[in-house]
Amino acid sequence: MTSSTEREQRLTGPEAGESPAVDLTSVTKSFGKVIAVDDVTLSIEENQFFALLGPSGCGKTTTLRMIGGFEEPDSGDIRLYGEPVTGLKPYQRPVNTVFQSYALFPHLTIFENVAFGLRRRGIDKKQVRNQVNEMLDLVKLPGLTDRKPTQLSGGQRQRVALARALINHPRVLLLDEPLGALDLKLRKEMQIELKRIQHEVGITFVHVTHDQEEAMTMADTIAVMNEGQIVRLGSPAEIYEDPRSSFVAGFLGASNLLPVASVDGRNVVLEDGTRLHAPDGAELSPSMSLGVRPEKIRLHAPDASDLPANVIRGHVVDTSYVGISTQFLVTTPFGASITAVMQNVDPVSFRRGDEVLLGWNPDHSFVIDGS
Amino acid sequence: MAAEVSVPSTPAWARWIRAKLGRRTVPYLLLVPGGLWLLFFYVAPVAQLAAVSLQEGTFETGYLLTWRWANYTDALRTFSSQFIRSFVYAGVATAAALVIAYPLAYAIAFRGGRFKNLLLVMVLMPFLTPFLLRTLAWKVILADSGVVVGALQSIGVLAENGRLLATGWAVVAGITYNFLAFMTLPIYVSLEKIDPSLIEAAQDLYASPAVAFGKVTLPLSLPGIVAGTLLTFIPAAGDFVNAQLLGNPQQLMIGNVIDSRFLRVLDYPTAAALSFTLMIVILSLIIPYVRAAGTEELVA
Repeated sequence: MTSSTEREQRLTGPEAGESPAVDLTSVTKSFGKVIAVDDVTLSIEENQFFALLGPSGCGKTTTLRMIGGFEEPDSGDIRLYGEPVTGLKPYQRPVNTVFQSYALFPHLTIFENVAFGLRRRGIDKKQVRNQVNEMLDLVKLPGLTDRKPTQLSGGQRQRVALARALINHPRVLLLDEPLGALDLKLRKEMQIELKRIQHEVGITFVHVTHDQEEAMTMADTIAVMNEGQIVRLGSPAEIYEDPRSSFVAGFLGASNLLPVASVDGRNVVLEDGTRLHAPDGAELSPSMSLGVRPEKIRLHAPDASDLPANVIRGHVVDTSYVGISTQFLVTTPFGASITAVMQNVDPVSFRRGDEVLLGWNPDHSFVIDGS
Repeated sequence: MAAEVSVPSTPAWARWIRAKLGRRTVPYLLLVPGGLWLLFFYVAPVAQLAAVSLQEGTFETGYLLTWRWANYTDALRTFSSQFIRSFVYAGVATAAALVIAYPLAYAIAFRGGRFKNLLLVMVLMPFLTPFLLRTLAWKVILADSGVVVGALQSIGVLAENGRLLATGWAVVAGITYNFLAFMTLPIYVSLEKIDPSLIEAAQDLYASPAVAFGKVTLPLSLPGIVAGTLLTFIPAAGDFVNAQLLGNPQQLMIGNVIDSRFLRVLDYPTAAALSFTLMIVILSLIIPYVRAAGTEELVA
């Protein structure tokens, strides 16, 4: 898709005038024989909510720790607003971190935890008090200043950790799986809350997470990492609609991948001879797969008219009702199992054993090379 | 009762006890074994000691409880210098042990890596040999004809006829060495518990490594320091082996006096009065100390 390529160029290419907030060039970091971060080049624009998304061990936390100054890259260059920071200690960088386990000082009160950074910089006492109270208001946590961290709930601790970092007005805020320890409901609340705070303070947020939904909900731009490399970069919608690799397609949501046997003009031919239209603008090759998300597929009765351009015949082998939608598992004559999800608007339903037509708009599909 | 029915796994005898005594008495029952132990081996001997300290008489004629409080004033008047020396030696040795043990525990906890356990065993290893033997070994090390004295004399730290053995320094060094593990282990445990991300967080919040140590590591290791100093100071104040083997009569500590009063002079009332005084002085020193340190973890 053209829009995403443009965006990628804008993100990675040098921008006229202003330097990006965070700029990594060919950054590599190994721990012993394990290459944690492998030649990563990345630019993060100012005031973005940027997510580093990937499974555990993909190098996202190491990347974050190198930006924060807790690890030094083996090679490559890290710049913050154009200034090289390689070799600078964490306390010399204009960034602050919200740690995974919050890392609140257990021997200090909430007030002193939040005031820690200001006190180290020798800010006058009266100002410290004002700023701490202001910051605790921002994270909606007033009136708990005299408590110790152990007396707070997980969600409250999370807010204190956020306040403690934000009070220093960092130019970039690093968040290392900040919501990982919270339960689902609280996590959803904090996702919205983090987004609100980011808008309010206008600071670049770099957020590390393994939760694709969390990244999609909050981030303006997502970098998907796998095995130490960035495999896809773009807005949540771009990445979801055009994942470009089977890894990204599988990591972000579910998808059906149909192996292609040959290419005929703008059409692709599956192993059994089924011809399907490829999405516009996609580069086609015989080694690729055609991907389509379950919610883009509609089920039709075998005698239905007004069908979309791409249609596959199949049999329903399983249905599961999940309230707002129903999930269908359909087998095709060529042996593939295809998942389709339909909103429960019409009372029309298909049962196990029914013959159905699976239809989708070619532009709602994507191609994946070499799998 | 309905509650018993809903807990069918409770054994019959336990249900019987609960029914007979009621739920609230059961926890107290659990205190009985420990309570009896304390009663027989702590409360009774202390009471006996208190009684003896107020007796009058000689070993030959026998002792009688006459509530002679003068035993205390006499004992303190006669042995005040040994008393003061005990606390000075114990204090200096505790401070020295802290200075040696803290960096040691810090290095093992934060830099030990996979050798952590090996290093801990090495700290403990010397303490598998008997206390007496270890102290005797120090006697050899500090002997007038030994390597240490020779080396110190040759570089001029020690005078030509100067010696280490039979000096206060030797006694303090012996005490320091003998209680080093009691200082190291609690400090190690409290340092080990510190989440490394707390130190990273401090550095992230503009603390230099030194400030991060002072504001985070040190306060969080305070419970270990308090426990270590108590475990060193209390036995050190009552110690008599080091002064006996490494000192001379000018370096006798209160432990030596109690030892000789009990076992050689057979002056039981004075020995008991001294023991009791020692106990009270130690208690009156450590209670404000623990309070001031405010280590909730240790007290609560």
